[in-house]
Amino acid sequence: MKARYKVAGMTSVLLSLAFCLLWSTGSVSAAAEGKITGTVKLDGAAPHMKGIDMSKDPYCVKQHENSPAHLENVIVGPGGGLQNVVLYISDGLSGAEASQVPSQEPVFDQKNCMYTPHVLAMNVNQKFKVNTSDQTTHNIHPLPNALAGNIPWNKSQPPGAPPIETSWKTEEVAIPVKCNIHPWMHGYFVVVKGPYATTDEKGSYTIANLPPGSFTVTAWHEEYGTQTQKVTVAAGKAGTADFTFKAK
Amino acid sequence: MTSARKRLAGGLLLASIFFFGSVNDAQAIPAFARKYGLRCSACHEAWPMLNYFGQKFKDNGYQLMNDRDSPIWQNPSYWPATFRITPQWHRDSSDKVAVDQAAAGQRQITSTGFDLSGLDFHTGGTLEKNISFYVLPSSNPSGSFHFETVMGRLDNLFGSPWLNLKFGKFELDNLVSEKRILTLTSISGVYETYHFIPVGDGNIFGRIGDTQLGVEWMGHSLNDRTRVSAALLSSNDGNVMLSNGANSYSGFFAASQAFDAGKLGVQRIGAYAMIGQAPTTYFTQGGGVTVLNGAIGNKSFHREGFVGLFYLGKLDFQVVTQHGWDNAWFGAGYGQGPPFNNGPGVTLPPGSRAPTWNGYLVETHYVYSPQLIFIQRSEWERMSRQALPTNPSNLGNIDMYTFGYRYYPIMTSRAGFAWHNEYSWVRQQGMAPDGFALTNSSLLLGFDFDF
Amino acid sequence: MRTNIREWSLLASAVVLLVSPCVCRAQITEYQQHQWLRMESHIGNLTGHARAAEMDYRRYCVGCHGELGDGNGENAPWVDPKPRDFELAIFKCRSTPTGTLPTDEDLFNSIARGLDRSNMPQWSTFTKQMRADLVAWVKHFSPRWQTEKPGTPIQIPPEPEVTADRIKDGQAVFQKVECWKCHGVTGKANGPSAATLTDDQNRPISAYDFTEGARPKCGDTDQDLYRIFMTGLDGTPMPSFADNIKPDEAWDLVFYLRTLEPQKSKEKEIAKQLGLKPVAPSTAPAAAPPQ
Repeated sequence: MKARYKVAGMTSVLLSLAFCLLWSTGSVSAAAEGKITGTVKLDGAAPHMKGIDMSKDPYCVKQHENSPAHLENVIVGPGGGLQNVVLYISDGLSGAEASQVPSQEPVFDQKNCMYTPHVLAMNVNQKFKVNTSDQTTHNIHPLPNALAGNIPWNKSQPPGAPPIETSWKTEEVAIPVKCNIHPWMHGYFVVVKGPYATTDEKGSYTIANLPPGSFTVTAWHEEYGTQTQKVTVAAGKAGTADFTFKAK
Repeated sequence: MTSARKRLAGGLLLASIFFFGSVNDAQAIPAFARKYGLRCSACHEAWPMLNYFGQKFKDNGYQLMNDRDSPIWQNPSYWPATFRITPQWHRDSSDKVAVDQAAAGQRQITSTGFDLSGLDFHTGGTLEKNISFYVLPSSNPSGSFHFETVMGRLDNLFGSPWLNLKFGKFELDNLVSEKRILTLTSISGVYETYHFIPVGDGNIFGRIGDTQLGVEWMGHSLNDRTRVSAALLSSNDGNVMLSNGANSYSGFFAASQAFDAGKLGVQRIGAYAMIGQAPTTYFTQGGGVTVLNGAIGNKSFHREGFVGLFYLGKLDFQVVTQHGWDNAWFGAGYGQGPPFNNGPGVTLPPGSRAPTWNGYLVETHYVYSPQLIFIQRSEWERMSRQALPTNPSNLGNIDMYTFGYRYYPIMTSRAGFAWHNEYSWVRQQGMAPDGFALTNSSLLLGFDFDF
Repeated sequence: MRTNIREWSLLASAVVLLVSPCVCRAQITEYQQHQWLRMESHIGNLTGHARAAEMDYRRYCVGCHGELGDGNGENAPWVDPKPRDFELAIFKCRSTPTGTLPTDEDLFNSIARGLDRSNMPQWSTFTKQMRADLVAWVKHFSPRWQTEKPGTPIQIPPEPEVTADRIKDGQAVFQKVECWKCHGVTGKANGPSAATLTDDQNRPISAYDFTEGARPKCGDTDQDLYRIFMTGLDGTPMPSFADNIKPDEAWDLVFYLRTLEPQKSKEKEIAKQLGLKPVAPSTAPAAAPPQ
């Protein structure tokens, strides 16, 4: 499997190189318009995600009357696509490119006593919001490594409370976040530098806004750890990097 | 005073010093260290001497006051027990001992050898929040036991730190406590100042250093800066079974105040007094055999002193000055029963007076680190008025000096182990067989440990 | 002669090998010392110096907090709650918002106050200078004090008069922000989430039982109570409610919390007169208290 994946990777790299050569003559300055796309798959049977006993809080039970809640550590879509994998550029960006922070603010919502999304990626210093849609009190308790630069905090959010807007100071893959009142609620903040993407339910992703160049793409999953690939992006063109994690 | 009486009294004094010196009851409790996970040094400036935090812990009834003091919070296997013993080598020397083999009837005697201290078996701790106990069976080196301490305590009555009661046999509320003495030789194992009795005096009851039987009220401020106590004691020097006659009591009163002196540390000054009476007449039966519990003819005595604990960073000084006064009957040798028994027709020797004296104690510690401490102590006892005008004015005066160090190769919150090395020297005026000064010295090397 | 030289060189290299790790460690320590041992603390007019506290730390603190200040002292395995890890510099008792360093004064006060129901005693016998020095020493363990500033202490408005309305409003706050989920409807620490609480290291931890009559962890005055729920106890499940409870409501809540305690108080008296019943754990939140 590994060999095959390597071959696939090599082919894609060669292909993208070829594209690069073909199109380079024609392209004018196309800074930050390149992208990397791909799919992340899980090889093997997806582990069983246990149901959640929410009986501590009748409100939570009520929200899941018709759709029983399950843990979200590993979510595999049709065709083996692995959801909630964060992909980011771990090498190849210049300092200026890496320190660009999008103005858009991702939202981490507490909905039906679950985190939506389960994994939220963001840039260093990018503002993000923690929102609650629930009619029950949560506490948001991110647990970064204080010695690495991000400091843990713990705030309460009762129903109707305004969103908490904040950011993280340094890169950290990943920061666990939990709610002590609802011990099953568990998610991650992934704080990176430069463009990033998170896989959807099919396992596909697109890292946009990349300048031309060669990059190392890292894929991180909360259960399966990290993988890296080298990808070259031609000006204004898409590079491809598919990842496959092996089921435990 | 006849030379026979003088020798008897001197012998008694020496015997008591040797006895108490070898027992060295110290209340160092690894059981407490294990219970709370604190190292010895947290409560003891050098084990077994308390520091201010240890004093507060004790004053709170062996409690940290963190609502986890009650034994219900302890692992069930926790057993608040500690033993202490000191295997040692020592060299004791006396410059004038009466011996038949010497032409002059006296000679110097020096002996050396390996030896043991007595064994102290401490158990103490809380029975419930604010209710605690302490039991200390203690042996002499040959293994015969007595109860050094047995008491129950009720602390923080009505939620007030000013209401604490002890009942039983306990250490007097001395800031410089003999039960926490850092010196171990046969000479330095007691404070001369606390035990001093004029030559020929029959009063054994006014000893500040011994544990005593009675009841004590003690109060202190929350941070223990202010302390006061008053105790009602049986006048029997801690001896059980009312052996020195019933119906005689003493009081012991102490108060002290501490001051925050910034970088230097906390300074404390205080005063204490012991006022009491004890019998001089013992009923006898069958030709001089004392009847148990039967004694009358109470006469009074008192001791009062000032005490200061002064800290200069790593250096600290403990200073005690004490004045003593005994009724003339004690001064003449009455108080311990026959052959000196007060009764009908018995009169004081002509010209006899109430003896008075002053004692001075300066102990210095240099605490290099919690694991190495250097100790020095000097004591001077000076008679200011002899009971009998015929006695030389300096009879019984004592000069005592000791110095040594304690080194703790390891220090954990589980046990205590110290290497102890010390040299002591004492001179007592008029106590030698020839009527001149008697000089003793003692050198000790030992492992002092408890678990 | 040759063998001699060879032996000597062997011996020398053995010595070098043996000594080199020590030398390396010494260099790191020396570096840290230069960087961190200059740490000072400032409490009012007092200035504490880290170096001055080294012996006191060894005497009083090292058994639990450890030589490196990492909370791994010899006694740490037997202590619950666990000793603070000074490297992380995450402290329960702060006057500063959640996620920030405490002020020097916060640490200074914690040393003398102790932490009730833990192994941290009240070191109230220390001189103020000793405590200031120890604060500096505690700070020298964490690189965070080199790069971060302590948070700005939260403002506590003057305490209003206790009234029946305020106690009722306080109960509504208790209901609204759902204190009872952990602390229980009567304050007995038996709320539905109490049993599963864990601290930042995932170790089980219990909620504060108001009915036990024990001192709260970070002080027993009304101001202390106010501070506890407005700053949160970092490192524990207790969050900050600063964003959700207005200062005036916070005082109401303080008064209501007093009614849960067994001690006699004005608040308890009023609650008795009101015939106040415990809040009902409801699926839907109560209506916002009328202000």
